[in-house]
This record gives sequence, C-alpha cells and structure tokens, in this order.
Amino acid sequence: MQRTATAEDRIFQALADPSRRAIFESLTGGEAAVKDLTARFPISQPAVSQHLATLRDAGLVNRRRDGRRVLYRVEPEGLRPLVDWISHYRAFWTERVERLEQLLDRMDP
Amino acid sequence: MSVNDTTPKDQTDRVSFEVALSHPPEKVWRALTEPALLAEWLLPAFDFGLAPGTRFKLKTDPVGGWDGVVACEMLAVEPLKSISWAWVVGDIDTVVAFELTPTDGGTHLSIVQTGFAEQQKQNWGGARYGWRHMGAKLVALLDGVA
Repeated sequence: MQRTATAEDRIFQALADPSRRAIFESLTGGEAAVKDLTARFPISQPAVSQHLATLRDAGLVNRRRDGRRVLYRVEPEGLRPLVDWISHYRAFWTERVERLEQLLDRMDP
Repeated sequence: MSVNDTTPKDQTDRVSFEVALSHPPEKVWRALTEPALLAEWLLPAFDFGLAPGTRFKLKTDPVGGWDGVVACEMLAVEPLKSISWAWVVGDIDTVVAFELTPTDGGTHLSIVQTGFAEQQKQNWGGARYGWRHMGAKLVALLDGVA
C-alpha cells in the first residue's frame, strides 16, 4: 500500500508538468528520439532530456538503443499503479472489514 | 474474528473475502443495511433503500480528479442472507455481493466484488487506443487537481 502510494505520487509529479505531459502524450503515438521530440516542442534539447529522465524515474517511459540513436517509448505498465483497481479494492475491503468488526463489537447485541 | 483475502494472485476480474465474525447474522445484517451503521464502517450512504432498483450514493472525500462518489443501484436482497448492489466509480462498473451464513460462533460473511475485467482490458490491452484513452483521462484528472 505504501509502495503503491509512492509510485502514484511519482507518476502524478511527473505528469503534473505540462511539458512532460505533452512529451508523454506524444510518445503514446510511437517511439521517438530526443531530437524528434525537440522538433515537436518549443523546448531545448537538454530540457527534453531532463523531462525524459523524470518520466523514466516515474516508470512511465523506457528507452532502447537503435544504432547511434536512443529511442524513447511509453512503458506499457507505467500507469498501472493509477488504475490497478484490484490492488486498490483489496486494500479497501481489508480495511473496511476491520472497521465492520469494530462496529459489531460496539453495537448492542 | 478473522478476514481472509481469497483473491487469487493472478486475478484480474474480482476481489473476494471470507470473514469469520463472532456476531449473529441479524446483527451483521443491520450493519449492512442501516445507513447510519454503513456510514460507520463502509461509507456514508445517501438515498439508500433495500428495494431492488433503488439508486443510491456512497460518498467519500474527493481524491485527485475523482469527486468521491460511488454510484450504486440495489440489485438483489434476501434478508439475513444476501445483498448485492452495483458499485460504479467513473467508468469502473462493478458489483458488490455480500453473503451471510450462520455459524456456531456467529456469521460467515463473504464479500465478492466483480466486474473489473472489461475495464482493465480497455486500459491495458496495449492498443494505442487504450493509451490515448488513458492519456485523455489523465489530463482531465490532472487538470482537476491543478
């Protein structure tokens, strides 16, 4: 639960920045090199690299080498912590059942 | 008293719990069906009713871009034995079913929530559509936060 919250925080922080969000959305259309991304946005190449590093730290993007180029792409599992409903509801019901047990103990017979 | 999470590890379409309660079914039933008691362990309920078809809401604090509302509709009620209702958060459309069985020491309570599969398929199919869909939802979510 704690680990999940941290992963979620990192994803939110990474995507809270409009430039990073735009880069991430652009990558959902297919993999791209830093140079390609620099051409798509009014952002300097070092800034694009920095944004990509942040997206990688958040697990949203990964990269592979293709000859002399490094291609960035969306990590398919990256957003999973945000929509992993199974994990969410397992934690939810476990906690609620504990509350139900406490309530039953308090209630009149 | 013990709660046993019986959700299989690789499960993608349901969560399930088996709970041994040291209280009689009548008492557990009240906790499941009286709004004042529901508020104490589950969530505050609004317009709650036991007639099948009754639409009601469970409300919690807004989180992120979610307004904290669970939209519900009563589906089936068998007093002291079982109750189930639709549990909808955004486009996550699930059903929660509670079943009570009397035991020597009290009540065996089963909780099963089903219906995640289709949603997960939509989000995780790996198709580009799925990513675009998620991207748009995320933007809406993040705009809500900002």
